[in-house]
Formats: sequence, structure tokens, C-alpha cells
Amino acid sequence: MGSLLGNWPSYDPHNFSQLRPSDPAHPSKLTPATYHPTHNRTLPPDNQVISTEATNILLRQFYQRAEEKLRPKRAASENLMPDHGCKQLRGSNADDSKPYE
Amino acid sequence: MSVWNYVVTAHKPTNVTHSCVGNFTSPQELNLIIAKCTRIEIHLLTPQGLQPMLDVPIYGRIATLELFRPHGEAQDFLFIATERYKFCVLQWDADASELITRAMGDVSDRIGRPTDYGQIGIIDPDCRLIGLHLYDGLFKVIPFDNKGQLKEAFNIRLEELQVLDIKFLYGCARPTIVVLYQDNKDARHVKTYEVVIKDKDFVEGPWSQNNLDNGAGLLIPVPMPLGGVIIIGEQTIVYCSASVFKAIPIRPSITRAYGRVDADGSRYLLSDHAGLLHLLVIIHEKERVTGLKSELLGETSVASTISYLDNAFVYVGSSYGDSQLIKLNLQPDAKGSYVEVLERYVNLGPIVDFCVVDLERQGQGQVVTCSGAFKDGSLRVVRNGIGINEQASVELHGIKGMWSLRSATDDPYDTFLVVSFISETRILAMNTDDELEETEIEGFHSQAQTLFCQNAVHNQLIQVTAQSVRLVSCSSRELLNEWKAPSGFSVNVATANASQVLLATGGGHLVYLEVGVGILTEVKHIQLEYEISCLDINPIGEDSKFSKLAAVGMWTDNSVRIFSLPGLDLIVKELLGGEIIPRSVLLCAFEGVSYLLCALGDGHLFNFLLNVNTGELSDRKKISLGTQPITLRTFSSKNTTHVFAASDRPTVIYSSNKKLLYSNVNLKEVNHMCPFNSAAFPDSLAIAKEGELTIGSIDDIQKLHIRAIPLGEHARRICHQEQNRAFATCNVKYSQSNMDESEMHFIRLYDDQTFEILSSYQLDTYENGCSILSCSFTDDSNAYICVGTAYVLPEENEPSKGRILVFVVEDGKLMLVAEKETKGAVYSLNAFNGKLLAAINQKIQLYKWMLRDDGSRELQSECGHHGHILALYVQTRGDFIVVGDLMKSISLLIYKHEEGAIEERARDYNASWMTAVEILDDDTYLGAENNFNLFTVRKNSDAATDEERGRLEVIGEYHLGEFVNRFRHGSLVMRLPDSESSQIPTVIFGTVNGAIGIVASLSQHQFKFFEKLQGCLVKVIKGVGGLSHEQWRSFNNEKKTADARGFLDGDLIESFLDLSRARMEEISTAMRVPVEELCKRVEEMTRLH
Repeated sequence: MGSLLGNWPSYDPHNFSQLRPSDPAHPSKLTPATYHPTHNRTLPPDNQVISTEATNILLRQFYQRAEEKLRPKRAASENLMPDHGCKQLRGSNADDSKPYE
Repeated sequence: MSVWNYVVTAHKPTNVTHSCVGNFTSPQELNLIIAKCTRIEIHLLTPQGLQPMLDVPIYGRIATLELFRPHGEAQDFLFIATERYKFCVLQWDADASELITRAMGDVSDRIGRPTDYGQIGIIDPDCRLIGLHLYDGLFKVIPFDNKGQLKEAFNIRLEELQVLDIKFLYGCARPTIVVLYQDNKDARHVKTYEVVIKDKDFVEGPWSQNNLDNGAGLLIPVPMPLGGVIIIGEQTIVYCSASVFKAIPIRPSITRAYGRVDADGSRYLLSDHAGLLHLLVIIHEKERVTGLKSELLGETSVASTISYLDNAFVYVGSSYGDSQLIKLNLQPDAKGSYVEVLERYVNLGPIVDFCVVDLERQGQGQVVTCSGAFKDGSLRVVRNGIGINEQASVELHGIKGMWSLRSATDDPYDTFLVVSFISETRILAMNTDDELEETEIEGFHSQAQTLFCQNAVHNQLIQVTAQSVRLVSCSSRELLNEWKAPSGFSVNVATANASQVLLATGGGHLVYLEVGVGILTEVKHIQLEYEISCLDINPIGEDSKFSKLAAVGMWTDNSVRIFSLPGLDLIVKELLGGEIIPRSVLLCAFEGVSYLLCALGDGHLFNFLLNVNTGELSDRKKISLGTQPITLRTFSSKNTTHVFAASDRPTVIYSSNKKLLYSNVNLKEVNHMCPFNSAAFPDSLAIAKEGELTIGSIDDIQKLHIRAIPLGEHARRICHQEQNRAFATCNVKYSQSNMDESEMHFIRLYDDQTFEILSSYQLDTYENGCSILSCSFTDDSNAYICVGTAYVLPEENEPSKGRILVFVVEDGKLMLVAEKETKGAVYSLNAFNGKLLAAINQKIQLYKWMLRDDGSRELQSECGHHGHILALYVQTRGDFIVVGDLMKSISLLIYKHEEGAIEERARDYNASWMTAVEILDDDTYLGAENNFNLFTVRKNSDAATDEERGRLEVIGEYHLGEFVNRFRHGSLVMRLPDSESSQIPTVIFGTVNGAIGIVASLSQHQFKFFEKLQGCLVKVIKGVGGLSHEQWRSFNNEKKTADARGFLDGDLIESFLDLSRARMEEISTAMRVPVEELCKRVEEMTRLH
């Protein structure tokens, strides 16, 4: 047990070194100040207001497949295979898309 | 009409749901950040312990809270997602001490079924993306670009529909999630997916593991070099990675929370549903996992979150009990526990029921809650204001003033209490038996009223009377020197400190004396144009014995003036306006900020910021404390200076976070107060009330006082019986013996002062207490305790059987006098026209209390009303019955005496799932429902058609963001009969998160005023993380979202008082109302709670 319990991580050995525990029967009462921002930086930069892509997943897949249908032909002719990083995906998707071909 | 409502929090939520540790406020500082439902708290780890830094309201219920470190940043960012599908990324700007928003957005989808097991928000350990699981079958990705900026989010279809947990794995070339899910045969499995951001899709991950523990519920990703994931089940713990699978059995338990101890992920703290804390260790050889080990460390509150802090200290956040700071010891204590609890942080949640009582019979409500759950269940007595614990009192009439004196300047304690009457002065002293007896100070003039008394420098005493100022030796107690008022003039008011005396005689003469060794020297004398009404020279500058400023209040022009000392040169003249003269002025300093307080004869108080160097006044504010003249005095408690304002509504003025706060003192009327710190009664106050002198100690200076009565079991319903001065509760006691967990249900009776158990009644097996009521019946003077129960059988969906038990308290014992079987659960009991009204499953049933031939009593069914799904909450008023249904909102029934029938009068046709109802007035009813909204409905008695009359019209809607379990009429504060705020009826509510709040019904005029103020405040006080206040408070359920109406956000309105002067001015301009008036009106609202 001792070996499991030893060596508790220490980031700053001073932390808690002077802790004077309050009587556990009397809970801690320190209340921090309540924050009410009045500055203008509560709004993020314009490009960091994030929303979800509007295209529905199904439509996105249709488009992706449509592109893929076109792409392999061109890719083959232009011999750009190595640029398509995710072989796995294309492989599995190619299988899936067979019925459409 | 109670259609204009003001909602405000009296006690903030305390239920800790999330916590995390990181370098948030600076690269060098370690912070603990905790989420309490709608607020986050930022703490700093220091040698002295956890130091609270900031309490941050969030306009949303926090669903996820994560710290992360984007590439190239020196400190952590905070990611928060809310239950209403908003998120934000916050950064701490240490220079400005502000939270700034790095990113925010809306992650809701138009279509989608919200997840059953809660929302999941996770951040890839390599900071490539944020993953969210908010709707079944969808995994949302917010990618980071290589500069750490967030990009447009997209959804990926997730085949697994019943997801229990998702985590990112460490050390993967592509972001990889591990998904714990349940299939349609209820078997549980884990599966991994890689996220391909470019294709916006998953590809199958490196591994999966089928058929885990049926109770598997929690995933813990293990950092590199070990990698993989730990799966916590109810009977096993499993370590799983692409190449290793290790499992160990554990004692059956439900693990609620974990906290990682070591950065390398080799040890974790786990807490289960019984609050047992285990250490889980991954045994490994080099980088290969060879086994797991789990060791019991000890017991804590049932944890909802665990954060390892530093140096063996751990924060345990709890939803069911107090949160704790614990230390992990190397050696077990006598009970074999390695856990030492060092601090407790109050949590009232979940408040499942409460009652409002006036235990001290002072005309002030106290809330007694059923708080906590399981083993951490407790009763909590919540009281507003500061109590005086009376230690001694004597009958004394006509007290005109009081001062305490030490017998020598260097004596740590006060010995004498100088009590002044209209034509004499009496001196009380503590004798050797610690009793107060009358004594004499020879040098004092006892045949006159004392105007002021003071211990002075050089071991001397000062007494000021109308005729003279007397300087008396402490040691010999003989007169050393006397300054006499010029003939024809008498001293009207006087003040002094250790070395100075300032007095005013008729004709506007102001005389300044200094105290020397055995001599009083008149240093300056001026004449003012009007009579002087009050004076103060309390030294608040660097020299604690000498003031460079004097405050003077004037008749006629009703001004307060600041003079410099010793020259008596006028520095400032501030006209107070109005007809009322200042009656008491005080120079004081709190938390290093100096103020001038000036109290008027009509109970109003002005406060000004005071520049001690120049004597200039600024930031004038006015509030109403009472209706009678106020006398201001300073006193010390726990080494901090406060001000006592004696009046018809005694108040302590103190400062917290450099803001002046006003807390009621729980006494009816106080004429005079002086601190009396004697050896027998240290840190006490002497208080002169009408006809009585009291010595008492004072509570801690804070607004709400909470007393906890731990029960070791879960109290679920409570009522108070005045006649027997007792509380009755329905409790559940959980017990665990090896493999079996059982529960027993009790009705308990507690003394309402000591909270000792007076009596207990055990219910049958499977029988749960559902409702409890103290009432009496027609033609029977006894007070009864009625309990409604349900037999909760494992095979039944809804209880089909219950009982109503009627107890009488005899000699402090519960005696069962009648019982009645019911065809379902008795969810609610109400006293109704001298009868008993019960809500039983879908029915409302009325029972008469009948006398049998043998003299015994029984409940006899009179009439009922069907037509509810489950009638859960019932309130009555006269013959009207308001029912809150499980899922059919509010309906209004009426009892017809002649016909002996209950009929439906009107209903709200919305499908609201109710959690509490209350009647605000004859026509207006308040409801709370399970989407955390409040709403009000109104009866249309005057409508033209039957159809309209049969419809309860929704007239108010508001998103509270809290799950309300109970409303009760009442007030936490003592109401003055003739104050404006006493005209405002209030309802108190208690919530799952441990918040206590007030719904105050305003006049339309007040409502319009505060509505306008709220509108102005929204523009000035910004939502943290850019979250919108309007959206947050908008009513929201599955079907609709609508702007809040008929309710105002008191929390926002009262934050006006926290604003800087410049911001107040800004709002004042927009409102076209002076700052002083705004402060006064908002301050009045704060005094409702």
C-alpha cells in the first residue's frame, strides 16, 4: 500500500504548506467577488464566432461521393494517387459506393 | 395582481458538477476551476490553501468544462459548453484581470434527438479538435487550425445510438475517439474511431472491445507512454489498448467520478456512489501495462468530480453533500482511512423539500431544507441576517446613550459600561463574579446626562456633559481637569477620540479641544451659521489616536461638512437635500477604503467615498435602512471593523470585496449600541432596546447563516408543527451489507431547537413516505401530522397502493391514530376546509375527519376528481385547488360545498412537466417545470365564453436555469410594517442545485422601472463568453423558445450595485434617473432576501 500511496505529484512544494484547516464542523465561508464584465472583449474576433456547417450530413455525403466518382477518373489520368492521403477511407468508400456505379 | 414578478437568488447554487485544474490565471499559477450549475468559480492554489478569486455567472447551465492548452500558448484556456448548445473559450487577461472570449458559438442542430445520458464535450489532447456529442447519432467536430483558431463545426454520423461515454485517446497520429455504448440488447462495448477532418468523417479506429461489464459507464483515457483507456464498470475495471487487455474485479459499486493523479496516468482516484474513495493504479513494466490494482483510501462526500491539486491535496466536488478539500495521508488513521478532510464547502443541494418557519418568533422566516442525498442527507437551517446571542440582560428604561471604557489604556478588555439617562449617568462594571453591578468613577459627573465618553491618551478618561468636558485619571479615577461651557451655553453634541474632543454648543459654536497630560486645551473655536446636529472625529488616517478630519452634520441647511483639524477649516460642504436633518455622522474605513456615513432622522443613510488626505467626498449613495432616526457606531468582530446602525431596523454595515453591504440584525428595535469587549463577554455588544439593556455576542458578519444538521440518511419531506415545536420528516435510510443494499423508510420527529430525534415511526417494507403535513381538522382541537405513502414494488411502474397515516404527538412521541389505504401514491397532502385533501396518482381526493361511535376518529372519503396523469403538486386557497400534473401543466379545480363535489374550472393546455406549483393570488398561479423554466398562468373569470374561462392563460415565462423542487410563501427577512418593501409578497423556492431564490410580485409601476433598468444593464454588463442574457432568460422547452415576459432577472438588476461609478452614471443617463435614486431602489430590492 505504501508504495502505491507515496510520491504524490508536487508542482509547487509551497502549495498548501501553510494551510490551517478550519474546523471541519464550520465550513469555509470565503466568497469570491462576483464578476460582471463591462469590457468589450466578451465578444470574440469575428472569425471566431463558430457555427455548424449548414450542409446536412446526407447531402454532404452525396456531394462527396459525386466528387469521388469524378475524381478517380481524373486522378487516374493525372496519376495523382499519392496525394490522396487516406487510402483506407477511399477503399472502404469505394466499396460502399459500388451500387451507385 | 401578481403578474409582475422579480426573480432573485438569495443563496447561489452550491452543487459542484465539474472541476478542473490548470494554469489559467498565469503560467506560474495553478488554479482550481469549479462549475456550480450556472456559475464557475476560479480558485488559486496558495501556501495557505485554496484562495477564491472570482465567481463568474454564466448565462447557461454548464454541460462541460475543460481546460486546454492550445499550441504556442503559455497558459490554459477554458472551454465551456452549456446545455442550451452554446459554447465559449475563455482566456484570462492577467493585466486587466478580465475574462476575455477567444471563441464562442452555437452548436445546436435544427434536427436531432438530445442525448439521454447527458452532453459530452471533449478536447483532443493534441488540440486538433473539440468533440461534442449532443444528439444521438451525431458527433460534432470543431477543428482547430494550425494557429489554434477554431474553424467551422461539422457533424459526423455516429452509428452508436446509446452512447455512455466518449473520450479522446492519447498519442494517436490522427485524433481518435473511444466510444462506450450500449447495443439494442443492452450489452456494452467500446469502439474506436479516427476523425478525418479533411473528409469530415470517421474511419474505423485501431481497436474495439465487445461485451464489457453491463454496468460499464466511465472511460478514462491514459496518457502516453502507456496510452489506451480504462473502462470502469460496476463489477470490473478494465484496461484496454490495441495490444493489451487487463481486467480486475471490484466490489459492486457505481463509480461517479475520477481524477487523474500523476501526469503519466499511472494512478487515478475513483469515487463511488457511497462516497468511497479508491486509488486505481496501473501496474506497468516500462511502457507495457501488466495489471491494475484498486485500493480503498477512505470515505468522502459522494463525489461528482475529483481534482488532484498539489502535494497530496485533492478537491472533491459533490452534488449530494458538501464539497471537500482532502489530504491523502501516507499512513492510515485509527479508522484505517488515508483520507483527511481539511475543509468543507457548503452545499445545500439537492433541496428536495423545505419549510419556512419563524423559530425564534421574531417575525422573520427561516428556511429549513431537506438537503443532500444518501449518507450525506441533512437538514439545513438557513437564516438571513445577523443574530445576537443574548448573554445577559437587565431591565433599564430611558437609556440615552452608552459607552464602554477600559480601566486602563493598555487593558485589553472593557471594564465599565457607562449608561446615560436624561438626568443622570450610571456606571456598570463587571465584578469578580463576572456579574454586572453598579459602580462609580469619582471624577465623572453622575447627576447629568453623558453626551460622550472615551478612554484617552496618558491613561485618562473623558466625559462630556452639557456643562463641561471632564478629564479623569484612570488610576485614581479623580478629576484632573475640566473644560466648562461658556455661561449661557450648553453642549448639545460631542465626540472624542483618544487625544481630541470636538463639541458643539447652542448657537452653532464648534469647539475643538486636545487632550494633554492632565490637561484639556481649547485649540480652536468657530461659529457656524446654523445649529450642529451631529459630529464625528473617528481617526481613520495613519494615526490611530488623532484625526485630521472632522465630520459635522447641520440643522437648517441639512448639510454635512468636513473640516480639517486642528484648524477647523471647512473643506467640503455637501447638501443632503430634503427636509430631514442628519442625526449621526461617522468617518470609517473598510478594507482600506474610507467612507463618510451620514444617517438621517427618517431612517435613510448616505454614504460617500472619502479621500482621507484631501477630505473630499465622492460617489454619494443613499439607501433606506428603516423609518426612525439612526445612530451609527463602529464595533469589531473577529478583528474586522463593522458599523452598527441602531434604529427600528438595526443593520450591520460591512464590506466585502470592497463593496458596502447591509445585513439585517435579528432584533426588532435598537436605540443604542456600543461594543463591550469584557473578559467575561469577549467581542460582545451592549444593546439598548426599549426598556432593556442586553449584552450579547454577534454572529459572523454575513448575510445568510446556514446551520447543518447531518442526518446520515436522506430527508425527503419536511413539515413543522408549531404546537409541538417539532419538525416531522419522511426519511430514507440506506444500508449496505456486503452484497445487499436495502433502504428503510421512517417518519421522524425532531425538536425544532436541538434537532434531536424525539420519535420515529418505521414504514412497511417497500413503503415510501411521499408527503407530510401538519394540520388540524374541523371539530377537533388536536394538531395532527399526516403522512402520505406509496408502496413502491419493484414489479410496478406506478404504485397501486399507498396509505395515509394520521399521527398525533403525545409526550413527544408519534402516535398513529388513524390510517387509510389508498389506491396509489399519496403525492401531496393539504389541509382544506378542515378536511384533508390528497393527491393520489391521477386523482384528487377529499377526506373528512369523522368521529366513530367508539370515540375514535377515521378518515372518510368525501369526494374526488379524476383526470390527471399524475397529480403531483397541489396548493389550495379557499375553495380553489391548483394541481401541478406530471405532464399536463397546471389545472384549477373548485370544491363545491353544497354538492360535495370537486370540479375542474380551468386548465393550461400546454404539455409542461411540472416540478412545483404555488398560488400567487386568487387569479395567478406560478409553476416550475422540468426544462428549468418558470411560468405564471391566470384564471380568466371575466372572459366571455366558457371556452376562454376554461383556459388558464400563460402570462409570464422565464428561464430560471434551475430545477425547482418546492415553492413556499414566506420571506427570509424581517418585514417592517410600514416600509415599501413589506408590501411586496414573496415566494421562496429551493432547487436541485442547492439554490434558494425569491419570486417577488411587484406592482406594475415597479416592474416597469426595473424592466427599463434591466434593459440598460444588459447593454453594460456583458455575458461572459459573449453569451446573451436575452437568450439565456428566454423560455425554452422541446417545442418552443420565447422571450422572457412577466419576470425580471433580479440577479442582473442587483449587480448594478457592483458597477463602477462611471458605469452607474452611464446607466443613470440612459434611465434619466439619478445614480443615488437608482442605488436606493436597487438596494431596497436586495433587502427582500
